[in-house]
Amino acid sequence: MSMPSTAPDEAQTAAPERLRVISVVVENKPGVLSKVSGMIRRRGFNIQGLSVGTTNRPNCSRMTITVDAGHAEVDQVEKQLDRVIEVVEIEDLTEQAKLIREMVLIKLEVQGERRREAMTLVERVGGRVIDQAPDRVLVELSGEQSGMDALLREFTPYGVLELARSGPVAMSMA
Amino acid sequence: MTGADILLTALEREGVDTIFGYPGGANLSIYRELPRHPALKHILVRHEQGAAHMADGYARACGRPAVVFATSGPGALNLITGLATAFMDSVPMVAITGQVASDVVGRDAFQESDVIGCSQPVTKHNYLVTRPEEIPQAIHEAFHIATTGRPGPVLIDVCKDAQLKECDPVWPDTFDLPGYRPAYEADLSQVEQAAKALAEAERPVILAGHGVILSGAEAELQQLAETSGTPTGTTLLGVGAFPVSHPLALHMTGFMGTGWNNKAVQNADVLMMVGMRVDDRVTAKLSDWAPMAKTFIHIDIDRSEIGKNVRPHLEVVADARVALRALLPHVQPAPVSRQAWLTQIERWREEHPLKYVHSNGHLQPQDVMLEMYRRCADDAIVVADVGQNQIWAALWWNYARPGLFINSGGAGTMGFALPAAIGAKVARPDKAVWCVAGEGGFVMTAQELSVAVEQKLDINIVLLNNFSLGMVRQFQDDFYGGIRSESDLTVMPDFVKLADAYGLPGLLVERLDQVEDALEYAQHTKGPVLIDCRIDPEADVYPIVPLGAGLNDFKELPDEYA
Repeated sequence: MSMPSTAPDEAQTAAPERLRVISVVVENKPGVLSKVSGMIRRRGFNIQGLSVGTTNRPNCSRMTITVDAGHAEVDQVEKQLDRVIEVVEIEDLTEQAKLIREMVLIKLEVQGERRREAMTLVERVGGRVIDQAPDRVLVELSGEQSGMDALLREFTPYGVLELARSGPVAMSMA
Repeated sequence: MTGADILLTALEREGVDTIFGYPGGANLSIYRELPRHPALKHILVRHEQGAAHMADGYARACGRPAVVFATSGPGALNLITGLATAFMDSVPMVAITGQVASDVVGRDAFQESDVIGCSQPVTKHNYLVTRPEEIPQAIHEAFHIATTGRPGPVLIDVCKDAQLKECDPVWPDTFDLPGYRPAYEADLSQVEQAAKALAEAERPVILAGHGVILSGAEAELQQLAETSGTPTGTTLLGVGAFPVSHPLALHMTGFMGTGWNNKAVQNADVLMMVGMRVDDRVTAKLSDWAPMAKTFIHIDIDRSEIGKNVRPHLEVVADARVALRALLPHVQPAPVSRQAWLTQIERWREEHPLKYVHSNGHLQPQDVMLEMYRRCADDAIVVADVGQNQIWAALWWNYARPGLFINSGGAGTMGFALPAAIGAKVARPDKAVWCVAGEGGFVMTAQELSVAVEQKLDINIVLLNNFSLGMVRQFQDDFYGGIRSESDLTVMPDFVKLADAYGLPGLLVERLDQVEDALEYAQHTKGPVLIDCRIDPEADVYPIVPLGAGLNDFKELPDEYA
């Protein structure tokens, strides 16, 4: 038989497969975000990323949540979320062919030669310059979430003043 | 119609007959309308927690949900423990709380608290109502959610202005709940395999939980056990789901379960779990639980219970009765070889009987329970509190049917017994109701005695008084180095005088030979009676599994004391 592990040290170190990517369609009612996040917290799971937005369905929003299942069985995340009455549809995308994209806004403090280098980098990685001031550049990046950390590291030398990430937005390819 | 009138009319439309409540600033509009709705019997409690436990006892005794009223702020917050108790044990209930006016919500108005936020983790669902137009739908859905699928409490927080404003109500006949899918459509795809696993088992065991009682599956369970020749035990909340005196009965399982039950579980090769959560009080040390089991079969209506604690090999997501009915046609009679397993269990039953101290001169709680059982058998509902009294009441009474034993199994809420017994008696005036409590838990909600007196309820309250928090004291003795820390209740009220002050008869019982007369008096006296039984202060619960140990390590009363 297999049983959920109860060893505390295992709960601490999240093996990659414990990270679940879950797409949840919820009724767009007050307090739903709090109910969903409360359920995740209470059951000992941990939210790593979250994005919420409207869908093509009226009165419904889609939440894309990256959750660390913690010491629970990984399918418990989906089952527990299903208990929230306002959760209309739930899909665990972890094992599916899927796209997980993320958008990032990044404000750089760069001038002169460094600025030209930074602009070249933006172009190379397919970013867009949204706004410019003599000493600042505001850049928009979007791409596969899995590569985003590495991408952002390339910008570190150019004086990152501010960074905002949208959280994951996911869809199955099926 | 005002929102308050709509609200009360909506309750009548749902068939509500009883409300346990307490008025206050934020629900006075409802109380103003209440006298014009005589079909709704309102019982004025003395503390809101009592109202929630009464509604809980009511629902457990008759299967129908009761309604709770409380005002905003402290009134609503006082419900939380009662809601949590019902939520843990899957008991239907609809709580309606007053809230400050919608235009001051969020401004820390007088007696404002975030009741939606506070109640969310302890309710199946909740609603904030800010307009009278929302009331009919919210109430219609609340009863639907509370009573279907896995039952549970639902709270509706109604703003003052929504109670006061008028509108023409539109009575809904549908639900707008696209995300609510109670397991109507059972997943029965694995029932055949489950039946096959039982048939091929050498040492099968069935454990039944509260789900069997909630779904009324006791007849199907018994048929399954008898046809397949499978020994069957219950959880604490499942007590009554299988007749204790049945030849195949294993009685209660787990942390304080019977020795023969725990032996059977630990040696089973196929373990079927029906309508239960498989929590830590059932398994004790999880990694040592049922080590010989090759096949776990789990039947539960709540998909999230499957695999939460134990990953089964076969799962059936369905109401227990639906599942067992689907299973029964596939069940094979037990092979002749099964007799060896039954004989083995019989041997364990003889080797590990329930035992208690007989001869130290003190009144033993088990003697009180045995005398109560001798007098009432299957005719009484026993409502226990939490602690040693709960386990004695569970083990020393041969419950033959569901609904005869009510207790707070999941939350373990002290103070549950008296208000729950009041609720049970209101629901079932035809049944004798016995409240069994320790003196510690009893004083937590003792103010509800006034309700029992006011409503002239025939409740027999048996205090098992050991002048200590008995279970805490036993844990300290056995598991915390023998250091008795803050577990003595040496200064307590004189309970006979307390009863007198509340206006009910109280009797003091100090010796075994006084028990019969006291119980006889209680049985034949109208209205509530309190019996203060001064039991052996050292009486312990046996068997018990040491904290952190596996079921195999259960400890029994040493023979020299028995």
